Amino acid sequence: MLKLLKEIFRTGEATVKYPFAPMPVCKDFRGKPEHKAEDCIACAACTVACPANAIQMETDTAAGSRTWSINYGRCVFCGRCEESCPTGAIRLSDDFELAVGSKADLTRKAVFTLADCACCGKPFAPAKEVDYVARLLSQSARSAEEADRLRLTAATCPACKRAQDVHHIAGMGIARQMEAGLSKTGKPAKELETTP
Amino acid sequence: MNVPVDPKTLVAEMSPVSTSEQIATMKKALLKNIQRSAYVYRVDCGGCNGCEIEIFSSITPVFDAERFGIKVVASPRHADILLFTGAVTRSMRMPALRAYEAAPDPKIVVSYGACGCTGGIFHDLYCVWGGTDNIVPVDVYIPGCPPTPAATIHGFAVALGLLEQKLKAETHVEAAGETAALPHPDIPYALRVRLEREARRMAGYRQGRDIAEEFMALLEGHAHTPGSFSLSERMLEAIGEERDPRRAEIIGRLAEVVQQAIRGETP
Ligand code: SF4
Ligand code: SF4
Ligand code: SF4
Repeated sequence: MLKLLKEIFRTGEATVKYPFAPMPVCKDFRGKPEHKAEDCIACAACTVACPANAIQMETDTAAGSRTWSINYGRCVFCGRCEESCPTGAIRLSDDFELAVGSKADLTRKAVFTLADCACCGKPFAPAKEVDYVARLLSQSARSAEEADRLRLTAATCPACKRAQDVHHIAGMGIARQMEAGLSKTGKPAKELETTP
Repeated sequence: MNVPVDPKTLVAEMSPVSTSEQIATMKKALLKNIQRSAYVYRVDCGGCNGCEIEIFSSITPVFDAERFGIKVVASPRHADILLFTGAVTRSMRMPALRAYEAAPDPKIVVSYGACGCTGGIFHDLYCVWGGTDNIVPVDVYIPGCPPTPAATIHGFAVALGLLEQKLKAETHVEAAGETAALPHPDIPYALRVRLEREARRMAGYRQGRDIAEEFMALLEGHAHTPGSFSLSERMLEAIGEERDPRRAEIIGRLAEVVQQAIRGETP
């Protein structure tokens, strides 16, 4: 009996104090993915990476908006969104207290505006993404003219870019076309410049 | 002949069970003056068993859900709380409904795990109903895959009205002129990519990114250490200060990448 009591005192209390005291979690705990909408450029990398489709995006070209949404009820806390995010806008946090009474409270949304193509004027990508890419590209530009051109390229939609390329290649003459086609990367020389 | 079949026509559209008003008031009264233990019956509707393991770990001495009187029972006829786990497979629908019917009113239904809440990773499988609330009315959702024992206890506390829920639906609308900051504008883009890639290759995306961030802050001279000014001195100092040999190795490797870039070598 005394031996048992001694053993009990020696062991102490194993039960955690939670929920009366905060629960310490280990470093790099996989809790609720925290989305900082200010840093998000609505690039949809996380949407594609999310294996459970917890993160989804809906584009409404009529309203010129793209809505990012996460459903914490579907998230499996794998961290692939964090892995793929180019700006670090989404990151798994320490928060595990996610229980809710109504399902609607499990969703979080962020609405972004779409940018219009500089060429055809149709909305094609989130304005924040276009702006981010333009700044990133012009950061590594070698001259002011190149920076301007890169900015314009970033603000042009893929369809217009293709049309411009075709136009450009048609105007090049056959010898230069062959040369561009045979260059090491297989891309026209003009496009090479745009890739930093 | 292969005629394309609309999958919707193959699934019987069955409406979820609904509760009457009388039962709702009874439930409120139960929650308000529950002066006794709450008995839990666990209904496995086709999960992967991860959730079950976490439920059992939350009744171990470490988390000890029984100190709140939460007890797992073996029959739905004894239960106050029904805990539905799993994405509700087709074949588990009837047994789940039978368990629901067998539990005496008023009963609290808790949807446990990502599978229970929405179907989770299995949400679009052909053979699942995709969540408990497609068959029975749910009172509390506990997300997680699986929820940790602490999250389970928090969920029970929310179900019994002891704690408030923390999550709220939110919508952020982009403010006019909102821009995302370029990370480390002073470091050339190609070098930044190389550093991050190398750090992630060695330490994984989480720690790799953290180490790369720290290292680039050091490069930019944000982490000023008095007495050392040149780049290589700063780096040597950082490596020397590092207690963890694994981190020291990674930082050393990143410093090499910088030196390579300065010499104009490609990796
Ligand atoms: S942690 Fe995984 S499941 Fe959850 S939102 Fe991110 S990618 Fe999706
Ligand atoms: S990957 Fe990051 S920046 Fe892109 S949409 Fe997701 S959270 Fe936003
Ligand atoms: S929520 Fe996750 S752990 Fe729980 S049953 Fe579903 S897949 Fe398994």
